[in-house]
Amino acid sequence: MIEEPYRWVEAIANRREYIEDQLARGSPILLMRYADGLLLLTVSRETQKIFEVYDRIGLAALGHPADIERMRLAAIDLAHVEGFNRAVADVSLRRLVNFGLSPALKTAFEQIYQPPFIVKLLLAELGDSPAQDWVVKLDYDGSFGRGGEDGRETFHVLAGTAAAEQHMMRFLMEHDDRPDRELEDAVRLAARAWAVGMYFAEQGRERAGEEEAQLPAGFDAARSLREHLRLRHVEAAVLDRTTRSANRYRRLDERELRGMLKDL
Amino acid sequence: MRGWPTPGAAGDFLAVLKAHGYELAPRFAALSAHAPPVTEATTVLALKFRDGVLVAGDRRATAGHMVMYERAEKLINVDTHSILAVAGVPAVAFEMARVLEHSLQYYRRSQLQEMSTAGKVRSLSKLLKENLPLTLQGVGTVVPIFATYDEEGGKVFFYDALGAQFESGDFAASGSGSLAVRSVLHYVNQWGNKPLARHAEDEATVVALRALDTAAASDTATGGHNPRANVFPTVRVITREGIHEVSDTELAKLYRSEV
Repeated sequence: MIEEPYRWVEAIANRREYIEDQLARGSPILLMRYADGLLLLTVSRETQKIFEVYDRIGLAALGHPADIERMRLAAIDLAHVEGFNRAVADVSLRRLVNFGLSPALKTAFEQIYQPPFIVKLLLAELGDSPAQDWVVKLDYDGSFGRGGEDGRETFHVLAGTAAAEQHMMRFLMEHDDRPDRELEDAVRLAARAWAVGMYFAEQGRERAGEEEAQLPAGFDAARSLREHLRLRHVEAAVLDRTTRSANRYRRLDERELRGMLKDL
Repeated sequence: MRGWPTPGAAGDFLAVLKAHGYELAPRFAALSAHAPPVTEATTVLALKFRDGVLVAGDRRATAGHMVMYERAEKLINVDTHSILAVAGVPAVAFEMARVLEHSLQYYRRSQLQEMSTAGKVRSLSKLLKENLPLTLQGVGTVVPIFATYDEEGGKVFFYDALGAQFESGDFAASGSGSLAVRSVLHYVNQWGNKPLARHAEDEATVVALRALDTAAASDTATGGHNPRANVFPTVRVITREGIHEVSDTELAKLYRSEV
């Protein structure tokens, strides 16, 4: 059926449609710069969505848990083999994505008799200075970009639909009063922006695909977040430039997060 | 990228390395008669004291009768609460330490949990078995000590060259000066005014320095201290809070007043 080229193009388009349907309702992810480094945040129901890859590299994903797991293990394998064979300083996110993860995703996506990866990834590498930080969004078809929609790379968002990403970004820009915010302020802002993204994610692709998709009048992000937190919990990790140990990745524990989000 | 799930899906980093063609101890047909003298590093100790475990090592590495290096570091931190102290051939020992360090990190990150103390002890044992070809040919023997602090407190394990693991109650020593060190530690523990387990950190440090000094007096392969060149033994302490190193300034002071 796909011997003819246009059939192949059609098959790829169908596949894209199918994957995007699967991803549309995924829980959005945010990456935000704060005073000491980078914050990754999402809200999850059961399965973990934010992971440590290497000393300075973190990964967050939405998609099928088994596919997230395979990408995560591939990233960890590549990073550790490189760190062992050469040196910790030789492990770089740029190489990990350009030569490892992206080609693997593209191959899986285009081999239409094989199952594709249903996954979108946001990866971050902490540099010695903010200017050397590296953040990348990696899509299910292997395409990737450096994101940083606000031009200053203070915020990065990842969601299943374009509408969810746009509205999260708009919300962040509107509430961006402190570029060197402390961790607690960053967590509070990111969690509220998540609720905005989740509102659109819950609409799925049909509604959210519309150009004029808008937040309902009087939408209260904090209240919406509180409602979600009855069944879900905030998940967050930081890459902290100020820590003394070589390992800069730290997962925020539940108590710490509860304290930060108190009376939001 | 092919062949997922990866060989490391169960958290075994050595399996991942092997899938990339890595071999810890290559096998040789026969040892050449012209083989160069092998560099060796000697005399490390670990003892349990009041707040945790103290690990110390001299700084000398030898090759045959020659002193190769007077600033060798024989203690390697493999995670936040574990130290590997190596006696034997540095070429293999440091490689082994690298594998172990990465294995523990790899396990923690891939399996999303810490490896148990028993698992860590066993990992090192497996590496020693992996090294059997070099050990049996007499060119790559390593006899390590593994010291760690877990929820039950400080623990010390020692090994033989083939990978047998033993947990020690109070202290362990390895390397050419180990007989002298063990004698000193046994004497202090058994006949001193209090057992090692009740020594404070500075008292335990003095005992370790005296034990290494005693070993250096009778064993050519154990280095002493050399204040003029600023060479002192390495002394590290593992407590609930993690690992810290006793500074050279601190050691110099102790040498002046106590050793």
